[in-house]
Amino acid sequence: MKRIINLTINKIIYEHAVEVNTTLADFLRYELGLTGTKKGCDTGDCGACTVILDGDTVNSCLVLAVQADGAVIETIEGLSNEDGLHPLQQAFVEKGAIQCGFCSPGVIMSSKNLLDKNDNPSNQEIREGLSGNLCRCTGYTKIFEAVSSQCSDNKGGSHGKI
Amino acid sequence: MIFTIFCVRHYEYDVGIDIFLSTYRFLYDSAMDYQIISINQKGENFMLLPKFEFYEPTSIQQAIELKKKYQGKAKLLAGGTDLLVHLKKKLITTDHIISLSKIKDLSQIKEERDFIEIGACVTMSQLSKSKVIQEKFSALKEGGDNLGNHLIRNRATIGGNVCGASPAADTLPALLVYQTQVLLQGPDGRRKVAIESFFKGPGKTIIKDDEILTGFELPIPQKNCGAHYIQLGKRKSSEINVVNVASFIEINPGNKTIKNCRIALGAVAATPIRSFFAEDALKNKTADETAFYEAGEVARRKDCKPIDDFRGTAEYRRAMIGVLTKRTLETAYKQAMAQ
Ligand SMILES: Cc1cc2nc3c(=O)[nH]c(=O)nc-3n(C[C@H](O)[C@H](O)[C@H](O)COP(=O)(O)OP(=O)(O)OC[C@H]3O[C@@H](n4cnc5c(N)ncnc54)[C@H](O)[C@@H]3O)c2cc1C
Ligand code: FES
Ligand code: FES
Repeated sequence: MKRIINLTINKIIYEHAVEVNTTLADFLRYELGLTGTKKGCDTGDCGACTVILDGDTVNSCLVLAVQADGAVIETIEGLSNEDGLHPLQQAFVEKGAIQCGFCSPGVIMSSKNLLDKNDNPSNQEIREGLSGNLCRCTGYTKIFEAVSSQCSDNKGGSHGKI
Repeated sequence: MIFTIFCVRHYEYDVGIDIFLSTYRFLYDSAMDYQIISINQKGENFMLLPKFEFYEPTSIQQAIELKKKYQGKAKLLAGGTDLLVHLKKKLITTDHIISLSKIKDLSQIKEERDFIEIGACVTMSQLSKSKVIQEKFSALKEGGDNLGNHLIRNRATIGGNVCGASPAADTLPALLVYQTQVLLQGPDGRRKVAIESFFKGPGKTIIKDDEILTGFELPIPQKNCGAHYIQLGKRKSSEINVVNVASFIEINPGNKTIKNCRIALGAVAATPIRSFFAEDALKNKTADETAFYEAGEVARRKDCKPIDDFRGTAEYRRAMIGVLTKRTLETAYKQAMAQ
């Protein structure tokens, strides 16, 4: 059973026929080729598939593509532009917050949403904001440093506090 | 042209697919028709959702008509954080999915004079932001705030948490101590059920095949009341509780005795339960540390019937019920006195 859905992804409007049992993660990856969004577990545990849906982060592996009909979605592909990386992405590179990189798109989308809602989150708020995203490599410290360096208090400073 | 890409599901392979797809991008860019089939080592189709028909009713009435037509063959979809996981893991299957997310009435919190009505599709994030929940139903907010992680809380609904009927579920102890009435609606009309009699066992409730849970009615606590919820897990987020406890207390402000009290325990029986012996032990007692400690002891010895499992032994669960009952009562008491 296919349905036509209309949605905006990274400011581009898409109209697409999807099988109703396709998840948003699979739709992004396999129908649109937006493979920046990763799938680690497919069951809501790891956060690799995090995207921003109508202003809130969700596990796209637990949302049906048809449920996103009419929605505005941001994925990792939408962050950089012709001028280069998004400052948050740049911070991840500079602080060494990326090792294998598999969790990074999800972690960055969660961090972006956190900073969009509150440009100066406390350390506790950063930890809570990232609690849905697992990272197997970094031990999280560098990730916190990268996000923390983008808080309005720390911008311009050379080191983000932990 | 349709490509079919088979992969044995491993992390490496999922990355492998990315590499494969980017290598052959020139091919699939011109022919977007391709599918990826993940198989496990036994060759079974793995983690894909089964085929189903999908409905998005816009009113409760339409949803009930669909439920009446398909009965047990149809599953209701709220946040999907349980349902989609169970379907993917092949723990259940279904031919029809009825999504509730287009029914606006179900995602509202309505405040009346002496009660509030929480719609079944209100999410944990919504609960946490609601002023009336923060001010009058703090234990329920604490329950919702402890469920899963912030990604899950943006989707997970209170109706789904209750219908999932896990003995360890995070919102249930608070709903029990706030004297919640469950609102059900079916082809024969509406009915109201006290939440104590809603659960039958793990994953089992009294809801009928053609019924929908539409919401919850909670009486607004009067003056001199307080409540608190604590869950104990192995870590702070995304885990299943070893035990969880909510307590509600009403104080006689004059002589500081306990006028009313309700305690609910999770993960120590087949359903969340009220701790009736401990509640009785507290009635009319002076509210102090000794009374709260003794209530904890009674809850530990008489009310809970835990089992051993990989999350904890029965003995450990009992011990923790004693501690958490005392602690929730203490905080609930402080809150009641602060009013
Ligand atoms: C990573 C992860 C972590 C989790 N952590 C926790 C946790 O810490 N604590 C916890 O309690 N739970 C946890 N859960 C379980 C789950 O998220 C919650 O139980 C959630 O509240 C379920 O709500 P939902 O809206 O997603 O339900 P759904 O998955 O949509 O539905 C669950 C069940 O209820 C039925 N249903 C839903 N709404 C209605 C209705 N209105 N009327 C009748 N039937 C209905 C559905 O048909 C289905 O059978 C976790 C899940 C995941 C994936
Ligand atoms: S792939 Fe969605 S949470 Fe792991
Ligand atoms: S960098 Fe490898 S999982 Fe996070």
